[in-house]
Amino acid sequence: MEELFAPPAYGWKRLSPKYRSMRILTSLVFPPILFTIPAVIVGVTSGKWWISGFIWAAAIVIVIIRLAFVTRSWRSWGYVEREDDLYITHGVMFRNLIAVPYGRMQLVEVESGPLERAFGLASVTLKTASPETGARIPGLTPEEATRLRDRLTELGEAHASGL
Amino acid sequence: MSASQPQRTSSAEPDIRTEPGPPPATAGPLKPTERPHPLTPFVRGWLVFVAIAIGWGREIVTNAGENQFELRGLLWILPVLAVVVLLAAIAGFISWYFTRFVIDDEELRIDTGAIFKKSTKIPFERLQSVDIVQPLAARIFGLAELRLDAGNSTTKLRYLTRSKASRFRDYLLTRAHGYQASIRDLDQQSVASVFTDLGVADQPLVRVSPQRLIVSFLLSTEWLIPAAISIIILVGTTAFEMLPLALGALIPLLIGMLSLIWRRVIGMFNFTLAESPRGLRITRGLTNLTSQSVPINRVQGVKTSQPLLWKPLGWYRVDIDILGHAHEDGDNSESTASSVLLPVASLDEVELALARVLPGFDLDEIELHPAPKRARWLRWFDFWTLRYGWDDRTLITEHGWFTHVRDVVPHAKTQSVRIEQGPLQRLLRLADVHVHTPRGPVNALAHQLDDHAARELALSQLDRARAARAAEREHRAVDMVRSDDHEGGTELLARFGIGRDQLLGSGGESEVFAVDHERVLRIYRAAPGRTADQLSSLYDSWRGVQIGLELPMIMEMGDLNGRFYTVDRRFSGRNFSNWLQQADMAQRRSALISFLDATERLQQLPSPVPGFARLIGNGAPQQFGTLGELLSNMLLAPLQASRARLERDVPSVSEVWNRLHADLAQRSVAPVLVHGDICPPNAYVSQGPQGPVVTGIGDFSPHTLHADPLMDLAGGVIFLELEPYAEASADAAWLQAVATERHGRDIVGWIDVYRRYYGFYFSNAYEFDPNLYAWCLRQLGR
Repeated sequence: MEELFAPPAYGWKRLSPKYRSMRILTSLVFPPILFTIPAVIVGVTSGKWWISGFIWAAAIVIVIIRLAFVTRSWRSWGYVEREDDLYITHGVMFRNLIAVPYGRMQLVEVESGPLERAFGLASVTLKTASPETGARIPGLTPEEATRLRDRLTELGEAHASGL
Repeated sequence: MSASQPQRTSSAEPDIRTEPGPPPATAGPLKPTERPHPLTPFVRGWLVFVAIAIGWGREIVTNAGENQFELRGLLWILPVLAVVVLLAAIAGFISWYFTRFVIDDEELRIDTGAIFKKSTKIPFERLQSVDIVQPLAARIFGLAELRLDAGNSTTKLRYLTRSKASRFRDYLLTRAHGYQASIRDLDQQSVASVFTDLGVADQPLVRVSPQRLIVSFLLSTEWLIPAAISIIILVGTTAFEMLPLALGALIPLLIGMLSLIWRRVIGMFNFTLAESPRGLRITRGLTNLTSQSVPINRVQGVKTSQPLLWKPLGWYRVDIDILGHAHEDGDNSESTASSVLLPVASLDEVELALARVLPGFDLDEIELHPAPKRARWLRWFDFWTLRYGWDDRTLITEHGWFTHVRDVVPHAKTQSVRIEQGPLQRLLRLADVHVHTPRGPVNALAHQLDDHAARELALSQLDRARAARAAEREHRAVDMVRSDDHEGGTELLARFGIGRDQLLGSGGESEVFAVDHERVLRIYRAAPGRTADQLSSLYDSWRGVQIGLELPMIMEMGDLNGRFYTVDRRFSGRNFSNWLQQADMAQRRSALISFLDATERLQQLPSPVPGFARLIGNGAPQQFGTLGELLSNMLLAPLQASRARLERDVPSVSEVWNRLHADLAQRSVAPVLVHGDICPPNAYVSQGPQGPVVTGIGDFSPHTLHADPLMDLAGGVIFLELEPYAEASADAAWLQAVATERHGRDIVGWIDVYRRYYGFYFSNAYEFDPNLYAWCLRQLGR
């Protein structure tokens, strides 16, 4: 089964372990915050705090599920630069593998949001003329992201072809 | 050297202009500019009025059920409406007054803005398409909008008279294709009809009749589903007497259905796909008449779909992805409409259209693989329709039972590839493969493949895409060399004191500029090797020979900073090919007779060597024992390039090939000089006392031979079919009849033999001229 998503010939490069830490943190923090708001509103307006209890319980279940998947999800990401294409794979339940020829890249973006910056992470997005391409690699160290961007730009120029 | 040339007087009569005219005065800042048509503000104001009226009307209609007296209460809107219309009219007038444009031989510029001046200058080469749009109001006044699409921006020029708009369109498209033309040449072209807006030279390929359009619409899934839902809601709610409750759902549904009718029926009314000299052209629309060109080199993929109920009728719909046509807002009605290649068509018509859009692709030959049987667990509703397949140029995927869809993506247009697999697919060892194309209706997705097949397809698709891109790059590199930068050329032009605006024409080997009335400067793109020397001495050897035709003459030859150039004698009269397009039938046929005479007169020219021979090019003159040997040798190089293509495109190619050689072996004839490429673009026409006469033949080249006298006669007749005017084929047939009358019925068979010869000879044109290649295939299929 694994070989369907294996890269041709080389091993995958994996994401920084800090990305897993970040995902653990977001899994722990965001669902409780998100669920607390309706729970409190329901509790305050109706006085039936047992409903709020259910909402919080749901939040805890979601946190547990997400934590259970964080490591697998982090491990499922991989990318590899080959001579002519960049391969990216990810997904635990729904898996996919995307290959973008360097010659088709129109734009390479490096992004880093506040949370990512706090963890010392950045993501790289490749754009082609097709909106469906959606090739994004999250959770890279800034050095790796910059290196990848420069490398991809360079390869893109070398392989450039019109439409 | 030029001073030693005798002064010639131009034989051109005033009504046939020497082409192009003397250099225009240098364009100063005060070049005359034009305003759009004076009715423009009125038409635009009227549109505002209509828009308001519709909005107001809709308001009343939706409120009608609730309050009968609402209407009277709304009367106060009328004066407001009048003010709004007046303001719109004033704004429209100001906008019109300050809009000026120039479309001439040098530039395309539109200046707008009363306070903030804006000047848009679009380089001709950047134009990607030029469309004509006629909204109803404009159409009533015979006006049209010119929509100029360059890169990502669309510039609108409104409104012009229809004839002017179509003339500008033709001119701009000519320039956009990199051909040199003068706006004044187009002045005499006749005007397109009100309903179809087909240019004179357009040949309709497919016409969709209103009956078929309406029937197909009523049977389409997109229409039947909302219609069925509305009826169910209507019947259900009336039965329970709850109709008012359902209105909230019905009204949006009805509006959706109306907009569907608007897009699919009104917008596609009188749909005509036509072939014009500058590519495919679509005209459509009942109220808003749209005329758009299909830039074939920007087609990224083709989607053919067939709703279930169309199946018994054998109808299909064809959409295409055109790069840049679907803008960011993706799905708006204008961009979806402009991606329609055929709203409804029979299989034959679809094949005809696909042959133009994907020239040289043979989709029927591609073997399609079905999805494995186990896919039925996931796609129980259509697993038997899932198919995919590829050859070395395209990928095809098929799916759907309710609406059967087939997506075709040329490998060279593949953007990226994705394999996807969900948990259930993993259990069944299945996977989907997406092949991404730019934004548009085409979505190539191979559903539910065996996982090994999926991986194989995805990875090999990348290799095929890479190979296809490399091939395209090569072609582009060749084109780049051809339309090379003008660096060395600029110095040369400066030396002769002329500018690039003096360009008369350009071909694969050289560009030609007018120096003065007597001379032209030919700048070679690459060093011509011995060709120029050979041509020069050939022309010199003809100096004393009088055959009643102007022949080329090289006056000077040299190179400046690596750019090789010659100064040639300028032909009097106009280019025959351009002239044919605007001449009427009587003029054309009289000129064609003299064209036939000219092909015969060329035979009197002496050849530098006796026997069958190749006269120009590497290793020339090269003599051969027989005609067959010479012509086989001529076919070697083109066939090397096109052999694989021909083997695929012409099923019986080896049989045709053997027959040609058997026929040529039987031909016994004394060799004469053969031009080899005697077509109207290489001839010049002037006005004689008895009417237009072909007075010059130029452009001898490596095609030039010492061979069968019938070759030029056949060439003169059959190359005429390639001329981009509507009656070209009829004229060619007529000319063949004239030639037959002169030389006897025997020549018909030999003309057919040379049809096959030239079909092979120019078959390498698939790389750069799909039209010529299609012509070659027709010759070989005869």
